[in-house]
Amino acid sequence: MARKSMLKVIILGDSGVGKTSLMQQYVNKKFSTQYKATIGADFLTKELTLDDRRVVMQIWDTAGQERFQSLGVAFYRGADCCVLMFDVNNAKSFEALDTWRDEFLIQANPTDLENFPFVVIGNKIDVDETRRAVSTQKAQRWCAQKGNLPYFETSAKEATGVNQAFDVIGRNALQQDDVEGFDQEYPDGVDFSQYEQERSDCAC
Amino acid sequence: MDTSKVQLLYCKSKVYIHPSKSSKDNIAGYLALIRPDGASDLDILLSWVPEYLIRQSKDDFDNYVQVDLDPESGAISETSRVMVSPPPLNARSSHAFSIAVKDLFSIQVRQPSLGWWWGSLLFYTRTQVTLPALFFHDLESESTVNEQKRNCESFEPFSDSGDLYWGGQSFLKELRKYVKLVDATVERGLLLVNPDVADKLSFSPAAAKLVTPQPGDDNIAKLSKAWEDAKWGLMEKLAAVTRFSRKAGQQVLDRTPANVKAMLKVPEVEQLSNDFDSARIYLAEWALGIAENSDPRYDVVWMDSYDDLISSIGATDEEYDVISLAASVERRNPVTLEEWNSFFDLSGRLCITQTEVLDRIFHGGLEPSARTEGWLFLLGVYPWDSNAIERHSITSEKRNEYYRLKRHWWDDTERQNNDEFWKDQKHRIEKDVLRTDRQLEIFGQSDIPHPDPDSRFASQGANPHLEQMKDMLITYNEYNENLGYIQGMSDLLSPLYVVLQDDALAFWAFCQFMRRMERNFLRDQSGMHDQLKTLESLVRFMLPQLFEHLEKAESTHFFFFFRMLLVWYKREFEWDAVLRLWEVLWTDFYSSQFHLFLALAILDLNKEVIMAQLHHFDEVLKYINELGQSLDIDVVLMRAEQLFQRFSNTIDLIDRRRKDGQHAVLPSVPDSLRQLRDRKIVEVRESARPEGATGG
Repeated sequence: MARKSMLKVIILGDSGVGKTSLMQQYVNKKFSTQYKATIGADFLTKELTLDDRRVVMQIWDTAGQERFQSLGVAFYRGADCCVLMFDVNNAKSFEALDTWRDEFLIQANPTDLENFPFVVIGNKIDVDETRRAVSTQKAQRWCAQKGNLPYFETSAKEATGVNQAFDVIGRNALQQDDVEGFDQEYPDGVDFSQYEQERSDCAC
Repeated sequence: MDTSKVQLLYCKSKVYIHPSKSSKDNIAGYLALIRPDGASDLDILLSWVPEYLIRQSKDDFDNYVQVDLDPESGAISETSRVMVSPPPLNARSSHAFSIAVKDLFSIQVRQPSLGWWWGSLLFYTRTQVTLPALFFHDLESESTVNEQKRNCESFEPFSDSGDLYWGGQSFLKELRKYVKLVDATVERGLLLVNPDVADKLSFSPAAAKLVTPQPGDDNIAKLSKAWEDAKWGLMEKLAAVTRFSRKAGQQVLDRTPANVKAMLKVPEVEQLSNDFDSARIYLAEWALGIAENSDPRYDVVWMDSYDDLISSIGATDEEYDVISLAASVERRNPVTLEEWNSFFDLSGRLCITQTEVLDRIFHGGLEPSARTEGWLFLLGVYPWDSNAIERHSITSEKRNEYYRLKRHWWDDTERQNNDEFWKDQKHRIEKDVLRTDRQLEIFGQSDIPHPDPDSRFASQGANPHLEQMKDMLITYNEYNENLGYIQGMSDLLSPLYVVLQDDALAFWAFCQFMRRMERNFLRDQSGMHDQLKTLESLVRFMLPQLFEHLEKAESTHFFFFFRMLLVWYKREFEWDAVLRLWEVLWTDFYSSQFHLFLALAILDLNKEVIMAQLHHFDEVLKYINELGQSLDIDVVLMRAEQLFQRFSNTIDLIDRRRKDGQHAVLPSVPDSLRQLRDRKIVEVRESARPEGATGG
């Protein structure tokens, strides 16, 4: 039985930038200050219509602490779009975007490295302006350098900019999905045997 | 002197028979050794007489009481012999019985398990007479209680092998004066009575070789080998039969002893036992032995005679299945504070063995009131052999030490302002503490002003308990410098802090807990990787069908257990269940890695759904991630225990057959699986932090 057209989206970014909150706000329209730190990985799905096509977006939320990524590469594969997220009030989380992007490209190993769709999100714009650490211009400059990546500022808390961001995420993912040819049955793109191989080769 | 009287050599009070499942039907009696007039040692009678019958004669009753309380008075001396009425003949109505010790063939010994079952003895006779099992209600028996008290004084209760003194032990010691008891090496807990060479060959081949050394003549060895071959051949056939009758599909565990009967009723098994001379009893021992391992209703099983077992009710396939699956297990009530205190003598020193306490906690857990102290023992803050005074001084030392460590960073303002790594880590800690278990009342409110007005979290206010958690984790970040704080640790600390309600003690309890959890947090994640690999091997070994399915679903990296293993199911179970689970796991009762058997149990309990419905990794992950609410901790723990026993028994069987050398094709058991039977915790320390590395 063929599965619905599935778009796989991965959200990456430092711990505490609001990955879980963003996903919850988009899918379930709710917010809590008390989401626990994500351990391992989880995803939510949302059905949507993009230019008359019914698709299911599978949004993967991951742990932000760097070391936990090493076991999680399994679900990078087959991704159609990667969201790089930072907290506009936390300069370090912005500086980490380079690492997150590089790490993703190495692990997911998409066929066309140059044109893989990333979307950048600066979150927590609801916080007092005096605490702001990364200006819009600075973020936009970075995005321009990396190949004109779309940039959105959001407040997962107040639901500002969330739908707009995901609309673009969805479109870019769909385009990527068509390019990669995973348009009917996405999970075949996940190659775990290779994952196992990598693990046993590594010295750890 | 009344010549019709017989000499009472020994007796033990409050030895019960349990004629039915209901404890109302239990009958108290005396187990006695009686020498009829002029009888030789071999003709001494082993008798069980209901107490109410003895009470019918005041003289008899006084004598029984005297000999029970003062075993010396049953002494051999001609002049001071204690004479009583002859015991009643074997009587169905009263259940009384007497048998000459020479007619005893073997004795099945079952040690008591504190608060779970009574110690018991079951006598097999040479004459096919079946006798009821005898249960030693030690707590009611004044003589046994006295003896336990005496033993306690000179007794080392902290060794693993230290068994509690019980009534059956006293009886066996006395019986050894008149007959020879030899351990049957083929079955634990089976004693042979005055065995001849053939008996020994059958049941205790090693002992037979010892007592009949015949160098140059290898007939004995050959005979012994023949027995071994036949025996393991039998075992193998038996295993084949049970495997054959195993059906795939939903298997609800039946916990009745009827399964044992059912097992013996299988035509193939009956045929096997008829074919083989000593096989029948051996077979029964073996089959019941499986049930006995863990079945608290073992008592009931033994109420049926062996012949009854063979000839009783028909059986269903499902019932055979249960035997081959594993024995039944039960959860017990949690240890109350009162029971906990009763484990200690007046000086506050443990007066039962550590193993007994761990067994009790493994199977029942602790009531909240018993946790505060219990956890400090389980986590090794308090040594098991400490007394109250020693613990008092440990507590104050630990407090001082913690406050010293805390002050060390607290006063170092230079570092707090300038050390980037330190500031980073503090930020991580604060961020995570603020989202740890906020659903609990204790962490719910943030109604004191934040201690640092410049903090990014200042606007949220502060909660005094979360502030303590923060300080403890910053202190740990210093204390275990190489590891530092990693996400997930706040989840591990919070139950300790909430239960102990003392930051210093909770800190040390946490350090102890982290000794075994450190490998989960290593920079290279090798500890988590190893555990997921071990889980993979375990599932492949124990649930091959499910494993095959997971292979097809590309899910055998078992990544969906990452969260459960990292913080020990903290996110899956409700708060109270987590507390119960952790104290059970801390006992290391079967294995220091029992948490992997929990994962196995969760898979086993859900395997039908997984196999029927889930065909891709994302589906499996989603299903497992959302199991949380539907998991019943007691059900999972019971299944995990069953699976552990089945696992352990299977390895034993493989090893015995391999030793036998005739079975070329045996499954290999990787070392990672063998190590799952180890009770010593696995400690892996983080290496030094590379220059410039962040805490990520």
